[in-house]
Amino acid sequence: MVPPEYYLLLSSGLFCIGLFGILTRRNALYFLMSVELMLNAANINLVAFSFYWGNLTGQTFALFAIALAAAEVAVGIGIILALYRNFGDVDVMQAATMRW
Amino acid sequence: MTDDGPDSSSRKPGLAAIALFGVLAAVVLGSASGFSDPATGFPAGESIIHNIGYALFDIDLGEIPSEGFLAAFLIIAIALDVALDSAVYLAKQEDEGTIVSALTDGGQDIVDGDVAATDETDETNRGGDR
Repeated sequence: MVPPEYYLLLSSGLFCIGLFGILTRRNALYFLMSVELMLNAANINLVAFSFYWGNLTGQTFALFAIALAAAEVAVGIGIILALYRNFGDVDVMQAATMRW
Repeated sequence: MTDDGPDSSSRKPGLAAIALFGVLAAVVLGSASGFSDPATGFPAGESIIHNIGYALFDIDLGEIPSEGFLAAFLIIAIALDVALDSAVYLAKQEDEGTIVSALTDGGQDIVDGDVAATDETDETNRGGDR
């Protein structure tokens, strides 16, 4: 089996790529993709340690995280549509007020 | 569309992410000796998919240790339903908070309760949900 520290390195790399995307991008779609990367980094940890300890709880939890990610993307794309409709752009910096 | 091209000033916050990776890598590699035990793994010949199904529905038939997730399964199902409905609501909502698209017939606007006459010469009126 691949040692767990390699999974941890992979997951931290993926998480930091997602964080990099969130900190540097202004396009809301890139934002959404970056959040997905961060969620999948957590899933890698869950599945790796599920195998390491021989317990299925981690894998089941990863399934729930995937389902929640799907829900988050559905709402996120709806918000991006509303953003585009109201501001004519998907730049997150333009939506600086809470005014509808 | 958003100008998302390379810009050195907008990339500076990204250095925090790179620094965080450095810290995480140092911590992980520094504590690698803590994982000296071989992985327990799953029993050979046991179906992981079946056991995940048993765990999701809280059935005590699996050979691989796990917990019951029936309540979480139902809560996630409701959360997905809410997300689907809210996504449709957000996508459909138009002027003044009223849902107009769902009330059209083939993309034709409703005027005073009747379907508006279709202007075939109008290039912007291409039908469908706009």
